[in-house]
Amino acid sequence: MRGLAPLFLGLFAIFAFSWLGLTAIPNAQIGHLDPEVNPQDENDMYPLPPSGMAERGRHVYTSNGCMYCHSEWIRADYISADIERKWGERRSAPRDYIFARPVVLGQMRIGPDLSNVGKRAPSEETSAAQPGASPAGSPAAPPAPAKSTSSPAPAGNPPNKSASPPSPNQSPAPPQNAPASSPSPEGLPYSAAWHHQHLYAPRSVNRDSIMPGFKFLYEKRRISGEPSADALKLSGRDTPPEGYEIVPTYDAKCLVAFLMSLDQSHPLTEVKAGAAPAAPAAASPAPSPAAAAPAPEAKK
Amino acid sequence: MDATELPLKAPERLAAVQASETDIVERALIDASTRIPVLMFYTSAIVWLLLGTLLAWLVSFKAHSPDLLGNVSFLTWGRLRPAHMNIMIYGWASMAAMGTGIWLMARLCRTVLRHPLLIITGAAFWNLGVLVGVGAILVGENTGFQWLEFPPYAGLILFVAYAIIMSWAVLMFRFRRGEQIYITQWYLIGAFLWFPWMYAAAQLMLFVVPVQGVMQSAVAWWYANNLMFLWFGAIALGTAYYMIPKVIGRPVYSYHLATIGFWTYALFSSWTGLQRVVDGPFPAWMITASIAAAILTIIPIVTVGLNHHMTMAGNFQLMRYSPTLRFTVFGAMAYTVFGALGILLSLRSIARFVNFTQVHVAYSHLGLYAFVSMILFGSMYYIVPRLVGREWRYATLIKLHFWAAAYGVGLMTLMLLAGGFAEGSNMEDPTMSFNESTLSILPYLRGRSVAGVLMAAAHFIFAFHFGLMLFGLGRTASVPTFLNPVEAEGSETHL
Repeated sequence: MRGLAPLFLGLFAIFAFSWLGLTAIPNAQIGHLDPEVNPQDENDMYPLPPSGMAERGRHVYTSNGCMYCHSEWIRADYISADIERKWGERRSAPRDYIFARPVVLGQMRIGPDLSNVGKRAPSEETSAAQPGASPAGSPAAPPAPAKSTSSPAPAGNPPNKSASPPSPNQSPAPPQNAPASSPSPEGLPYSAAWHHQHLYAPRSVNRDSIMPGFKFLYEKRRISGEPSADALKLSGRDTPPEGYEIVPTYDAKCLVAFLMSLDQSHPLTEVKAGAAPAAPAAASPAPSPAAAAPAPEAKK
Repeated sequence: MDATELPLKAPERLAAVQASETDIVERALIDASTRIPVLMFYTSAIVWLLLGTLLAWLVSFKAHSPDLLGNVSFLTWGRLRPAHMNIMIYGWASMAAMGTGIWLMARLCRTVLRHPLLIITGAAFWNLGVLVGVGAILVGENTGFQWLEFPPYAGLILFVAYAIIMSWAVLMFRFRRGEQIYITQWYLIGAFLWFPWMYAAAQLMLFVVPVQGVMQSAVAWWYANNLMFLWFGAIALGTAYYMIPKVIGRPVYSYHLATIGFWTYALFSSWTGLQRVVDGPFPAWMITASIAAAILTIIPIVTVGLNHHMTMAGNFQLMRYSPTLRFTVFGAMAYTVFGALGILLSLRSIARFVNFTQVHVAYSHLGLYAFVSMILFGSMYYIVPRLVGREWRYATLIKLHFWAAAYGVGLMTLMLLAGGFAEGSNMEDPTMSFNESTLSILPYLRGRSVAGVLMAAAHFIFAFHFGLMLFGLGRTASVPTFLNPVEAEGSETHL
């Protein structure tokens, strides 16, 4: 080849083609989605913006590299066992992620998928009622105020990373927009307390787990007076010495709030539900571009 | 003798590359002008390589012994892993590739490197950027996007450093002699232009004016894929196109094939990237387009592979002697395997099993190590003696380096592929508990740690040998270091 100009043009054209095709055009197609509003009930919107704690928890999640082992997307039932494994009720759609930043889809499942890990958490009341499983900040704090309001819990609570004494309004935001349908009662009890224990000492919960413990997100401190309400209930070799307790830091609480906010169980019109029949939804697209739906049929 | 000093016409064996006196002087001058900058890139790259190897070791051991050093925040697995990946990508492979690219460019443009201080400054800034970025990951500022984990401020330093380094290319091209642009230069110019474009595009779309929702993932995967193919892959293939003909003293088999290979490589591989999210939350056409592109990469894989093979045909015995050739041909063959595996893994029927498993780790090591890094090692064995004016001291060390690296990466790839398939098929069987898939991978992860020991040995041997060269402790000899004693063959001068 002679001269630089044709070479340069060719190189640029190839780059531009790839950029347009895989980022610019898809961005025009699915880059400007709005939450879906239920035509029958205007208060039933999905998805909703995350609470402040969940948002901060997302950064704890990425900064500790959770996404290198856990994915956050469910594939359709005809191509995978994701739904049979009860990781979700339907496949994930672009609209599920419109408030997520950064989006951490992940491409490894050294641990299970987390798309719906918040869904199975029983509501705060039930887990508080369970003996021995008192979640962080269970005293008082009815979940109602935090729920689905956009002014989240930490608003009145400056992010004091270390040793913030448990205050009532610091309860991790309960799973938002948890559908009235079913927080599957027979499912695993993924309460905040469960998450904390699992994060602190994974093998105390699942003997075969190869997840690293995140002890640095927890604080060992001397019990002065009453033991903290959010101290971890540990047994075996993880038990702190007499007179000490293990309490989650603010980051740990945010991480758990984030995990508990992960929930894609709300139906979307563009996705055919995997288990529950939602036949009419398949054809009628949402207000925004129809192609937003990765139409399952189109994929063989 | 044509402008690129590479024989492009059919050879009368070896006669074509007999250099005249002026050519020898000219090359010596060019080599002298690139000495400091290229050695700086190489030295930094090797320091990063050692650091990355240590981290890789930790990452590998912690994967099956999760409690090892687990209580310190910056030593947790989820921070060490991205630190390892980014050190290898931006510290080792990018710096080594830029060093080789600069040297090749100067040689092929037949011009001395002007303003070496510029490049030295650029290299220093690049090192700073990597250092800041890795530090940020370790203290917990991972952005969450694979291969873009560095926070934007570190990315900015890298970008500025790169702009400084880039300016040499403009200068070099202005002063180039001869009209012909050799195939290696296409790959190099391509890589050196594509990288800043894709890096800027990704940074803009992720951090400056962030796109919404899953588009962030699409942009990140598009970037990671192009970084592999249009940056590392392009430089490695370009290097192979230079080193193989150079060492065996024969022109590239077919220049037409090389042209076809280049354009189809750029066109098709730049569209792959979303096949790894088969059935993900994206419009189906994006994934299908990526799979189609992945299948079409069979064209560049076959043309490039065939071209290298036909160039080598009849000269494979030279791999017994020349370190450069041995590493380069290994890398070129690994490209074929890597490409073929890439096609297989993109098919939906296979992807459903291997998505989310260690197969991805095997695939990226096959690409970044067996293909790219081995070719870069080969180019270093060729270039460093020309820069320091000494020959490699111990043939044994080179052989050890090669075999440890080759067996290491081979074992690692096999372990992770086999383990990944076992893991994936257990995961796709809903009657098995999820723990089964975790447990089934563990023996393979231990196997990988063994492979890691081999690779670490290879790197430390190489670093030691390179250090000897750097401190002027190489051999003073007029003949290069051969891996085995050469029985008179007549081609020694080019090894």
